[in-house]
Amino acid sequence: MTVPLKKKIRYNRAETRAAWILLLPSVIGLICITYLPMIASFTLSLFSWNGLGEMKFLRLENYTRLFTRDTKFYGSLLTTLEYAGISVAGSIVYSMIIALLLNRKIPARGFFRAVFYLPYVLPALAVYLGWKWLYDYNHGFFNYGIKLLGGSSVKFLDSSAMVTPSLACIAVWLSGNLIVIFLAGLQNVPRTYHEAAEIDGANAWQRFWGITIPCMTPIIFYNLLMSLVTNLQVITPALSLTKGGPGTGSYFMCYMLYTQAFKSHKYGYGSAIAVVLFLIIAVFTGILFGTSKSWIFYEGDDKA
Amino acid sequence: MKKVLAIVLCLALMLPLLALAEGDGRVHITYSFWGNQTEAESVQAALDVFNGMQDKIFVEPMQIPNEEYTQTLVNYAIADQLPDCGMVNENAVLYFSRNGVMADVSDMYAGEELQPMDCITFRDAGVPVGYSSCNEILILYYNKDMFDAANEPYPSADTPYTWDEFVEVAKRLTFDEAGKHPGEEGFNPEKIVQYGAFVNNWTWQMEVWALSNGGAWFSEDGNECLINSPEAIESIQKVADLALVEHVAPLNVIPEDNGIGVGIGSGTVAMTTDGTWRLGTDFPNLEINYGIAPLPVMKEEVTSCTSGLTGVFKGKHQQEAYEFVKWYTREESNWDSLVLTGIWMPKSEYYYKTEEGIQAWLGNEKYPFKDLETGRKVLVDYTMNYAKPACWYFTPNTQITTNEILFTALQSVWSGERTAEDVITEIYPELCEAIVVD
Repeated sequence: MTVPLKKKIRYNRAETRAAWILLLPSVIGLICITYLPMIASFTLSLFSWNGLGEMKFLRLENYTRLFTRDTKFYGSLLTTLEYAGISVAGSIVYSMIIALLLNRKIPARGFFRAVFYLPYVLPALAVYLGWKWLYDYNHGFFNYGIKLLGGSSVKFLDSSAMVTPSLACIAVWLSGNLIVIFLAGLQNVPRTYHEAAEIDGANAWQRFWGITIPCMTPIIFYNLLMSLVTNLQVITPALSLTKGGPGTGSYFMCYMLYTQAFKSHKYGYGSAIAVVLFLIIAVFTGILFGTSKSWIFYEGDDKA
Repeated sequence: MKKVLAIVLCLALMLPLLALAEGDGRVHITYSFWGNQTEAESVQAALDVFNGMQDKIFVEPMQIPNEEYTQTLVNYAIADQLPDCGMVNENAVLYFSRNGVMADVSDMYAGEELQPMDCITFRDAGVPVGYSSCNEILILYYNKDMFDAANEPYPSADTPYTWDEFVEVAKRLTFDEAGKHPGEEGFNPEKIVQYGAFVNNWTWQMEVWALSNGGAWFSEDGNECLINSPEAIESIQKVADLALVEHVAPLNVIPEDNGIGVGIGSGTVAMTTDGTWRLGTDFPNLEINYGIAPLPVMKEEVTSCTSGLTGVFKGKHQQEAYEFVKWYTREESNWDSLVLTGIWMPKSEYYYKTEEGIQAWLGNEKYPFKDLETGRKVLVDYTMNYAKPACWYFTPNTQITTNEILFTALQSVWSGERTAEDVITEIYPELCEAIVVD
């Protein structure tokens, strides 16, 4: 009994060693670039440090300050959630619709697929500067159109109520990668289900809700997760377009972290914000995973 | 064959090492700066001159992107890898000097004939910690063609507008599609085709209006925050009201360092306040028939002066770095590339107080602003009589106060969502706390 077990272990060891050697570069990368900085960031969040001077141990003072005395924190949190909510919902619905359209036999399908994917591969800064001109209050293209039609100018980026939805629209427009993933998913929905349903007399709408959507739930889950994590960490539009404003209109948490740490040189405080943002993302991801079992359909799953 | 190839390759790899080991008997120091490609070339040209004129010091440039400049220097400082000298952002000078990064400058200009002006001396608790590389002040630029078209006399170089006059003139220069001016029956603020004025609301440039209105942002020793005084608050509101109430200025809710582009440079604004460096950096490319005048006056005539610093960092080659910086920041070393192009105004009093000095730059035919008499009043006399240092010359932590807290908060005032009083009252405790942070 023991002999074959030993053999088995030795065989596994050789394999394990090879695996470790092959994994080593990425493990080292993961440790040095992700885990150590995370630990450092958490440790730093307990200190006050301006980068050049002495570090002072503060216990949880940075966190108390953030939750009780910082006038911008809750505004920043709400702004981030609002942005993530609009852009996640918007990009999922928009990408799904575009993917459904592109999945049909339309003329010049390859061309349209490229067109909708294009925004995703454009350099982010160029995209945002282009949109800045579209949204501009004084000379922008949208307001030019609105005025031409007899309306009055809209403060797309210049009012704290409009700025987050306006920026989220750009995120939706940029979601070309989701379209591609949805398209791949749509092509995996078994034809046979549709044919069977057609024979049973189901119309297009019933087939969409009854077959396409359930078969797509794993893909929707993946896209939802990726989109949520990306959008909660939003910073580029604030950096390139609005500088966090007007007021705290686009003062996203990542942007707050960045300005506190790298502009105001309050590294401890910036780290505390990073830790809080990490926990918030963890909570949302946890909720998503927790509920996933009840609505995701896997082929071959007993529940289906 | 393979062996020969391997040996050749190994030798090729070792070549750079040989170059390093060779040495030229000179002390190599590094000078860090930000700027675009043109600026990098002009820096290199200046370094070539310096490296060529003596054989003790060799200066190598280190270009760092502007946006990340200060943070990059901090990273180098943490790693103990700071360059020997370099440009320093105005808002980071006291931060660096307080944390022991900057070398002592107390005898940098001792016994020199040309002394830098008082206005551009950075002081921490009264002690000089650095000198700007040049002098820049805020002035009013105007589009002469727009004034001619409106039959409006040009702003005077001697007697500045009062604030009310400024607003009135701006109203006469503002009109909508139907040619109506603000205040006239049927004027439509949604359809303005030409604006009368734009006051640059890039945060640090707003401090001058508090001074002009008889207030201040910070006390002169840099220890107290005074921005909640009625004068300071009123000055912010008055500037915001140019767009919100008077309808004479374009809306600029999220300011960038592009006031000239939002204002006179857009071709639809008649007057704009901005810094004198624009004479060299922007106007030569703008094709605008422009003039210059002192800033309008709320209560007291005043302008702000400022400019970045070329600093020496503590280190092994401090003495060599001193020598280079002293040479590099002399007006003559940058005479053709920066002074005569209009980008730098001289930093030594000699160029403002003596006729010979004034003629040397303002009177030079290469200088971009051609009207010597106006230049004498608006650039020279205005600097000498009315310039006060911007707050970062004496107030610590402006990288937090003006650049972060005020910058974000004031946007709600520019957009008209909140009043200046409301916003300043809210952030005042935060500002007070920020200036005493180490």
